[in-house]
Amino acid sequence: MLEVRDIVKTFDDRAVVNRVSFEVRPGEIFALLGPNGAGKTTLIRMITDILKPDSGEIVLDGSRVGADSRRQIAYLPEERGLYRRVSPIDVLVYYGELKGLSAHAARSAGLALLERMELAEWATKQVQTLSKGMQQKVQFCTVLIGEPRLLILDEPFTGLDPLNTQLFEEILAERRAAGSTVLLSTHQMNKVEELCDRALMINRGHMVLYGSVREFRRQYADHAVILRCDRRPDTVAGVRGIEPLDGDWKLMLELSASPQAVLGALVSSGLSIESFAIASLPLEDVFVRVVREGLGLDHGRSGPAFPGEPASGGAR
Amino acid sequence: MRFSWTRALIVARREFLTTVKRKAFLFTLIAVPLYFGGIMTLASRGEMSGRRDSMRAFTRLGVVDSSGLYADATREITSRLAVDPTGAPGRLETYRTAVVFYPDQARLERALRSGEIAQGLTISADYLATGATRRYARSTGAFNSSSAVRPIERWLARNLLAGLADSLRIERATRTGGGMDLYTLGKDDRFEIKDDRREMLEFMVPFMVAILLGVCIMTGGQYLLQGVSEEKESRILESLLCTLSPEELLAGKLVGLGGVGFALVAVWIGAGAVLSAPMLAMAKLPLSPALLALAVAYFVLGYLFFASIMTGIGAVTNNMREAQQFSMMFSFANLLPIIVLTQILARPDGPLAVALSLFPFTAATGMMLRLGAPSSTVPAWQIAVSLALLAVSGWLVLRGAARVFRIGLLMTGKPPNLPEIWRWVRAGR
Repeated sequence: MLEVRDIVKTFDDRAVVNRVSFEVRPGEIFALLGPNGAGKTTLIRMITDILKPDSGEIVLDGSRVGADSRRQIAYLPEERGLYRRVSPIDVLVYYGELKGLSAHAARSAGLALLERMELAEWATKQVQTLSKGMQQKVQFCTVLIGEPRLLILDEPFTGLDPLNTQLFEEILAERRAAGSTVLLSTHQMNKVEELCDRALMINRGHMVLYGSVREFRRQYADHAVILRCDRRPDTVAGVRGIEPLDGDWKLMLELSASPQAVLGALVSSGLSIESFAIASLPLEDVFVRVVREGLGLDHGRSGPAFPGEPASGGAR
Repeated sequence: MRFSWTRALIVARREFLTTVKRKAFLFTLIAVPLYFGGIMTLASRGEMSGRRDSMRAFTRLGVVDSSGLYADATREITSRLAVDPTGAPGRLETYRTAVVFYPDQARLERALRSGEIAQGLTISADYLATGATRRYARSTGAFNSSSAVRPIERWLARNLLAGLADSLRIERATRTGGGMDLYTLGKDDRFEIKDDRREMLEFMVPFMVAILLGVCIMTGGQYLLQGVSEEKESRILESLLCTLSPEELLAGKLVGLGGVGFALVAVWIGAGAVLSAPMLAMAKLPLSPALLALAVAYFVLGYLFFASIMTGIGAVTNNMREAQQFSMMFSFANLLPIIVLTQILARPDGPLAVALSLFPFTAATGMMLRLGAPSSTVPAWQIAVSLALLAVSGWLVLRGAARVFRIGLLMTGKPPNLPEIWRWVRAGR
């Protein structure tokens, strides 16, 4: 669907995006993560063809992004606004026409979207008379109109109440089912855990994590398993420590030990096991650790860093 | 990247319709001509009515004749005043002033103070040798104090000559210049009678076109400035720029808001033509197609030039207030020829007028004023050079503005300085 290949963007001799490559697969909700100033917005602006990369290429469905890809991509920026003295339906007709719909089709699509967003009765009121949340829903509609194949959403849930957050999530699910792909940039890590299959994290313009969200969480969880059982487990082969954890037990494994082997040893020890799960760190903790410790930045190249990977210097 | 006129025209249509539907536009459309028309009417009517009031109040003139030359003078002054404010021959109003003689200055002053007489006149003893007189009034308006002078002068001349010449000669002596027409070398190298009134009307057409051109260019430019500033301030641009290119957005804005300025002036000109049609028809003023074609050419090129500058300013500033501060000097440049109108009219082919009509910032209004100046003959090559300079500089500014627009749209914070803007113009994105 979207392939970003080794792109670099420099401002005033400073590489804001440095040799970043990733792929977003058709129909997935892909997270773009990173601390403030990491280069996410610049990266998004290159994907939307607002900025040109200094080198590298961005390919959407086999073609380089450019004028022809505009109808396929829609972008909800973090800092967003609307024309204040026009009605929501007029805004949507305008965006719809810019995306290639006829005026009639844009009006029909706009009204349907406003209906879906529970804003039908506000369709002809001036935008400035709408509440902030309502305006955010209209902005979301501007992204959805024309049924673009790639939705790029930067902090779409900020400022929304739980009901509207749920509404946005439902609509995203609908769009995903209809074949749209979503690139989600957010600092709400719970939303990433909930919605996204894979993610890319950049820091200071470099890729520092890329892959499955579930994998990140496991890899940064100190190679441990969480056990619920009838008594304190015995120390078995491959276990280097045991800690109580909210009524369960957290077993720290040796680097060479596999969870399957440890499970087998525990069963053999006669322990009655209710549940056994590979420990995973909340994504927020992964984010904090990667950024705070500068993981992935000391490779002399841009690329994901994983626990256990030999470092050229500094603690990991 | 492929430029899409379809998208640019969608932007143009939106910009045009959104702007013309605004109350501010309707207010400008109606209130501005009413305001200026009202001021001009009040000024001309006020001046005329001041003169009439002054003559109506001039009912009695007190005279102290120390020369003895006016002992048998007539005791009434009859004067006539044209009612038409343009000075066209037409209806005349007649005013009669009684002349009352006083033996000395003190009694005349007392009569003036008590309101018995409207004005006083003392004729010196050596009047025949020196012509010395004094006129007294209780007060006068700033500009209408001279209304009574001519009737008094004629009364003095008539009564001085009474008995020495026949009435026809006396009449000629009091109005020596009445029939002296002035012939000047015309544009076709023939001497033609100089008709001040017609000249004024002929000048008014290009003068009004120049003013409207200036207003139109600035209005379109200001709408553009306002539109870009608003979009930048309200953070609409980033989502919009994902849908269309900055060049398409810029082209759409230029076309749409230029259309607003053009529509505004077209309505004003149309309304003005309808309202002043009888006067223009009476004067048999030919509206030169060449002049109109030049006006359109200067509008298009002048608008392109100024609108590009305004777009660049809108893109590099953070809000409307900042944008207006920067745009002010350019607005001033456009209207500079109107400010130095008298110098242009006095020497339409002089260095200042020629320079203003060639310099791109002042060319549109400057050239229209030169073309309208009564004694001007603008060589065709100067018009060609002026248009060419405006077109080339407009194109360069447009290209630069497009680059600044592209980079500046998404920037916030401190506005860039000139070296930074120059770097943007030279770079791309």
